[in-house]
Parts: sequence; structure tokens; C-alpha cells
Amino acid sequence: MKARYYIGGTIILVFLGLLFYNFTRTNIEYESDFVKVMQTGKTCKATGVWVKEKSFQEDIQNRTFVFYLRDANNNEMKVIYRGTKPNNFEIATNVVVTGKFENGVFHATDVLTKCPSKYEGQNVNTSGS
Amino acid sequence: MIGNILISIAFIAAATSGVLYFLNYKGYQNTLNFARIMFHTMATSTILASIFLLYLILTHQFQYKYVYSYSDTSLPLGLLISTFYAGQEGSFLLWALWMAIIGIILQQYASSRGDLEPRVMAVYSLVQSFLLLMITPLVKNPFALIYSEPFMASANTINSQFFNLPFLANYFFTDNSTGMHYVKIDQSLVDALKSAGISLNEFIINGRGLNPLLQNFWMQIHPPILFVGFAAMSVPFSFAFAALMKNDYKEWIKQSLPWTLFAAMVLGLGIMLGGYWAYGVLGWGGYWAWDPVENSSLIPWIISVAALHTMLVQKKTANENSIGAFAKTNLVLIILSFILVLYSTFLTRSGVLGDASVHSFVDPGYFAYLLLLIFMGTFIVLGGGLLIYRWKYLQQITPPHNNILSREFALFTGSVVLGASALVTFLGTSAPILGKSVQIEFYNEMNLPLGILIGLINGLSLLVKWKESEGKELLRKSIFSLTAAVITTVIMYFVGVKDLKMVLFAFASAFAFFVNAEIAYKIFRRNFEKVGAYIAHMGLALLFIGVIASSKYDKSIDVNLVKGEPAEVFGYKMVFTGYSPTEDGKYQFKILIEKNGKKYTAAPVMYYSDFNQGIMRNPDIVPFLTKDIYISPISYDDGTTSNSQAQTVQIKKGESVKIGEAEIEFLSFNMPADAMQKMMSGGDFEIGAKIVVKSYGSKYEVEPKYGIRNGERLNETVKIKDANLQISLASMSADQGMITLQVEPYNQTRNENLTRKEILAVTASIKPFVGLVWLGTVVIVVGFFIAMIRRLKESKV
Repeated sequence: MKARYYIGGTIILVFLGLLFYNFTRTNIEYESDFVKVMQTGKTCKATGVWVKEKSFQEDIQNRTFVFYLRDANNNEMKVIYRGTKPNNFEIATNVVVTGKFENGVFHATDVLTKCPSKYEGQNVNTSGS
Repeated sequence: MIGNILISIAFIAAATSGVLYFLNYKGYQNTLNFARIMFHTMATSTILASIFLLYLILTHQFQYKYVYSYSDTSLPLGLLISTFYAGQEGSFLLWALWMAIIGIILQQYASSRGDLEPRVMAVYSLVQSFLLLMITPLVKNPFALIYSEPFMASANTINSQFFNLPFLANYFFTDNSTGMHYVKIDQSLVDALKSAGISLNEFIINGRGLNPLLQNFWMQIHPPILFVGFAAMSVPFSFAFAALMKNDYKEWIKQSLPWTLFAAMVLGLGIMLGGYWAYGVLGWGGYWAWDPVENSSLIPWIISVAALHTMLVQKKTANENSIGAFAKTNLVLIILSFILVLYSTFLTRSGVLGDASVHSFVDPGYFAYLLLLIFMGTFIVLGGGLLIYRWKYLQQITPPHNNILSREFALFTGSVVLGASALVTFLGTSAPILGKSVQIEFYNEMNLPLGILIGLINGLSLLVKWKESEGKELLRKSIFSLTAAVITTVIMYFVGVKDLKMVLFAFASAFAFFVNAEIAYKIFRRNFEKVGAYIAHMGLALLFIGVIASSKYDKSIDVNLVKGEPAEVFGYKMVFTGYSPTEDGKYQFKILIEKNGKKYTAAPVMYYSDFNQGIMRNPDIVPFLTKDIYISPISYDDGTTSNSQAQTVQIKKGESVKIGEAEIEFLSFNMPADAMQKMMSGGDFEIGAKIVVKSYGSKYEVEPKYGIRNGERLNETVKIKDANLQISLASMSADQGMITLQVEPYNQTRNENLTRKEILAVTASIKPFVGLVWLGTVVIVVGFFIAMIRRLKESKV
């Protein structure tokens, strides 16, 4: 009877250990401070706003999309995304890019756009006419 | 007004019936009838409120904020109906509506089963009270009028014949960043309109419309089914809680089994329909992305399935002297599954997922957030608290454990593995709350071994007997399924499944499949009603094999299809034959696919959406028995203004952009003083952009021009032979100091008549056996249904 608990306990411990290991290993932190993004060199999810005033480049042939993101402290970062410009990019209030900062550029493997209008009312900044 | 009254009545009636039912349980005999009346009042009001909202939507009453925000006059009937649950308020109302309808059936069911009704209905009414509270006028009200708070309505939804009303000028606004015009609708405007004899319904003639992402067939099916599943999950919880109240744990198992089966069946179907939607229409490329919103409804499903198995053990092992094995486990799992449904709601509705999910709702406001937390907290405290209170007693009456080589123990182990899988998914999904996020790899790595175990345990548990089995007998019984599984695995290995874990997963799935198939075959004729579980298991095994093949062994490639020119893709000849507009203003791009003389067509869709201000893309699928050809559009180039090698770059004054070897810098505009004025008046003008191109150590100063000459559009291309470039000015924005250049290789001729090439860029994928995932789902649902009918018959006293 006792042996059963030992075996069971060991299995649970191994599972929890594996869980913890994999959780840490595959963990990606959200980072809204680009200074930290540039320093870590680890894969992370950087959140920022698309710098519309700056140059962007869309290369259909090679499927790259290059643009600039800005964080809350006005730090700007160049992003190269291997893919096409995502849906909703123009109206996104926030852009989340997953990837790594290397050689002065953020190489994104995924771009996620957060849109105000998707489910809820659009907040409009207005000025009197 | 009517809506608000109905919702308020429903809420008050729900709460009252809960209290009255509870009093009846506590011994006040005379409250039972009144409790029933209150419960039916709640159900009637909820149904009427839903009908009223539907009426408002169908008759385009845009003076209601909800109707304005999610629908418009252009939607076809089916989609118009689906705007009912396109937003938070409406989807809570839909949930409450299903709760009301299920509640009527539950009340009937409970009233014919002993003293069940007051306890079960008290708990159920409490759940419903919380749901209705969420949509009362105080919180998220689907019947709020548009001017309840000042609201910016897009000017193109306003009847333009009223634009010249003098007082309206004060309400016009323009968003400078987009140039869109808005009318601010508030109480003072409504009053002014009223005194001018204009009703708000005449004034607002259109709504904002439904997000095109949601505008498709599955929007009409997936959310309603998912919400039936959510609503149904509160029934087993009510039974478990009722059992704890009475401190009697035998009856509730058989009474709640058909409900648990129903809830798991519908929720599972809803989840997989969502997967099909993502795969077939949204173009995610797969049916499962481990997106937090998908996960959050999967977790309670897994737990409820785990509960089903241990509930069966308890039912089987219960007798006059014993409540049966795993009584505690069952209470814990059923309570947990309901709390996880609430947790799922909290995750997706509260905005805590924020950036982590593709389709989470945005922040609903602090009050609703808090209320959701209280909703969840209440049931954690009530469920957990009562469980702890009864724990000691439960410990005393729980019978000792069984033999390891018994079906009881095997089923328990299976539930533990399911629980582990739920825990993995829960951790990954909840990580964003802590500001972290896990890669998809986490779910796959952790769940794959658990999937292998589930397949093996499933097969074994059916081979061992209740109470006790012998090793030898087990071996003898498993000969057929083991042999068949080995053969299947070997075949899959040679077809291409080489990865060790995948081989094991394939073996485990095949083993489970054949064990169940053998039993199902044997009992199909003489004992059909008992076949449900085996069919469901076979479905799961099929789904697993579909997952192995389609997720791990799919092939994908990006190709540019030139119109009329066949391209070879994965052994198929593909020709882009042109596009045609569809009735709803989208464009279908037709691709002829040919192999061995057989022809198929795929027609992926792309369109520009005003709502999203961007290009929307829908894939198309050519399904075969053994695979899907999945074609996802990327872009279309009509060849007139550019060609495949062209690049569009946007450059700000003073900045430079690198294209291949060349560096292009934008120096300044060359704008004659009167250019602006001429441009406005429609006369001839020319604007140049001075740019410097540096290439292979040389420097070229050029000036592509843009304007009108002799009434014709001028778009002068500058060619630089040595840099192998030609550059034209596509557009410009003088006030922002930006230009957009079209850059292409020098030798590209631009004669439209001769070399105009239409190019469709697509991602073409081969997804083997993805059909098994859908087939498996259908088979699982059928199995659940048969099992539910059987357990329903058994639940009668």
C-alpha cells in the first residue's frame, strides 16, 4: 500500500518538475520598454504603437514588412517582419510583436494588432470643427 | 424602456426564486409554489427581453446603442440575427436566455425526482441571478439608448437631409487623424431634435455594422452552441452543490450524469466549431492555435470529461453500504468545471488578456470587471467552502481504494491525466495575468505525452475488469487491438510519421481506437444503448490521428501565380484564372488546380473592409479524403501600376531607406509656389521629389514628378540604368513631409498592353488527414448523445 503512494508521489513530482521547466523555458515576457527589449537579446513580446510618420517598407516579393514602433517613453525601434502587413494594421491602437532584437533591428516572427473597433465602441479623439 | 423593465424583472424574479427555493429546502413548505412562479417569471421575462432585443435589431432601432454598435441595414437576415450576440451585453443575454430555457427543463426534471427541486433550483437560480445582474441597466445594458452617454456617431450613419438644421452645426466633429466626420449625440441634441419634430430613429438611419471578421456562416452557429454549453455546465454544478447541502452523495451522480454528458457534448461541439471557423474562414491555417480564448473554454471541458469518468466509477461501485469510490473527486471536479467556465468568462470579458489574445474583448469598464470577479469569487467561496465543511464526513464514508489492475483505478488514472492536461493549459492561459506568456510549444510539449497516456489508459481501462483483473487475461484480451495498433503504427511510420513521440502518440491512439472498435462491434447489435462511450472514444482516437497528421506533417509554400501561367505546387498544376466580384462586394480569386487529369477550383477571397480599414483575406479549401489543399491569399497585383518586383516605400523628408543594394534618401519637395493653389483649382501642376540614390559607390540625384499636365495625370518615372532601378512617385503628403515611391528594377518594361501581368500571391498548404479531426468530432458528439440517452433512462427513480 505504501509503495503505491511513493510511486504516485514520484510521478507527480516528475510531472510538476517538467511543467515548471517547460513553463520557464517557453516563457516570453511582455515588454513595453524598448530599452529593455534592446538589451535582453531574448525573445519577447514588445508592445508599442506604429510610428505612422516614419518610413515603412512592404516587399511583396520577399514577404517582408519593415516598420517602426514607438513605446510609451518615445523610444523607437525598427521592426522587420517576415510576412505580409497584417489585417487591421492601419487602425491598430497597439501592436504586439514577438521576436528578438538583433543587430539594431527587431526581428518579428509574429505581429498582433489590437483594434479598438473589434468588439467595442471606437473611441474617437475629436476636435471641434 | 421595455427591455430594461424586462431585464430588471427577470433579475429580481431570479433572486427571489432562489431565496424561496432555499427557504423551501429549509422547511418552509408554503414557499415552493411561489418559488416556481418566480422561476417561470424569470424565464418568461428573459425570453421576452431576448425577443425584444431581436425585434430592435430586426427593425433597425439604431437609437439603441447596442443595435447601432453591431448592426447595419446591409446585413442579410442570418447575420443580422447574429448581431444579437456580437457584443458583450448581448452575449450575456444569450447565455441568460439559454439558462432560462434549460432551467424550465431542469425544473421539470428535478421536480419529478424526490426532494431534488428546492436545492438544485436554489443554486441554479443563484447562478442565473448573477448572469442577469451583469446585464441589468446598472451594469452592461443591451437596452441602453445611444445618448445615455454622449456618443460619437459617424456622420454617414446620420440622415443627411437633416444636415442643414441650424442647431446641428454645434454637434459636428471631425477626427483630424482620419478626416472622418462625426455627430455627437447627447441629451441636448435629442431634445433639440424633438422640438424640431424629428425622432431619433429618423435621424440615425444606419449602424456601425458587424465586424467583417464575424460576417460569415459560422458566426450564426458557433457562439450560440458554445453558450448552450456554458449554460448547461451550471446544471451539474447545481446537482453537486445540492448534494453537499443535503450531505447525501449517492443520488446526485446518476441524476446529473445525463446533464454532464449533455454539457460536455455541446461545449465540446462548440469549441470544435470555433476551430473549424478559424481554419476554414478566418485563415489561421490551423484549427487550433492555443489562443487563450480557445483554451479557456477547453479547460472546463477537459475537467468535465474527467468528472464523467470518475462519476461512472462512483455509480458502479455504490451500493447500500457505500456511496461508491471517488465521491470526493467527483464533487471537486464538477465544482471546478463550473468555476472554470466562470474563469473563462472572466479571462475573455474582463480585458485582463489584453494583448495576449487575438479575439479577447476589450476592457468592459471597472464595474463590470469587479462584478465578474465577485461572480467567480462567490462560487469559489460557496463551492469550496461547503466542500471543506463536509470534507471530514466525506473522508469517513469514502470506501478504501481498489486494486491497481481494476477498471476503477484505470479510470481514475485517466481522470488524473486529463486533470494534468487541464492544469498545463490553465497555467499557459493564465500566464498573461502575470505579464508573461508561453509559446505554443509549451502546450504541445506538455500535452503530447499526456495525450499518449490518455490513448493507452483509455484502451487499457476497457480491457481490465471492474474490481480485479489478472495480467494474463488482460494480455489475451488485448491481442487483437495490440496487433492492429502495431500494424497501423508501422504503416504511419512508412507514410512519414518518424518522430518518436509522434510514433508513440499514433500507437496509443490506434490502440484506443481498436480496443473500442472491438467492443463496439460486439455489443452494437444486442446492446446498442451501451455503445455511446465506445463510439465517443473512437472519435477521440480519430481526432488524435488527425491531429498527428495535420499538425506535424503539413507542407506549406508561398507562391506567386501569374494569371494564365501554370505553376507546379506540391505536384499540382495551379493556374490563376482571374477574379470576379461577389454579391457582397468581395472578390473571389479563381485558381484552377489540376492533377492526373482531374480538375478542382479554389476561390480564396480578398476584400477591402471599411470597418477594419484594411484588406481582409479568407482562404479556400479543396478537401480530399486524405488531405486538404488549403489556399490562403496574400496579395493581388493587377500589373498596371506595378509588377511583382516592385516595392512600395514610404520615406519621410531627410530619411533614407535601403532597397537591395541601393539607398534612397528623400531630400525635399520641389513645389512651385502656386502648385497647391493649382492643384485645388484643378489646373495643371507639377510637384517633384528630390531624391538621392546611392548604389555601388555611385550617387544619383533624381527628381520623379507627380501632377497634372494638359489635364492628364502625370506620373514621371525616373530611370537609373547603372543602379538597375526605376523610381516613380506614387503619392505624397506635403504637410507630413512624406512621399511614397514605387521602386522597381530598370529592365522592367511597363507597357501595359504587352507585359501586363496579373499576379496572385498565395500560401498553398497540403494538410494531410485534417478531415479526421472533423470526423472525430462528429463521432464524439454521436457517442456522447447515445450515452446521454442511456444515462437519462437510468436517472429515473
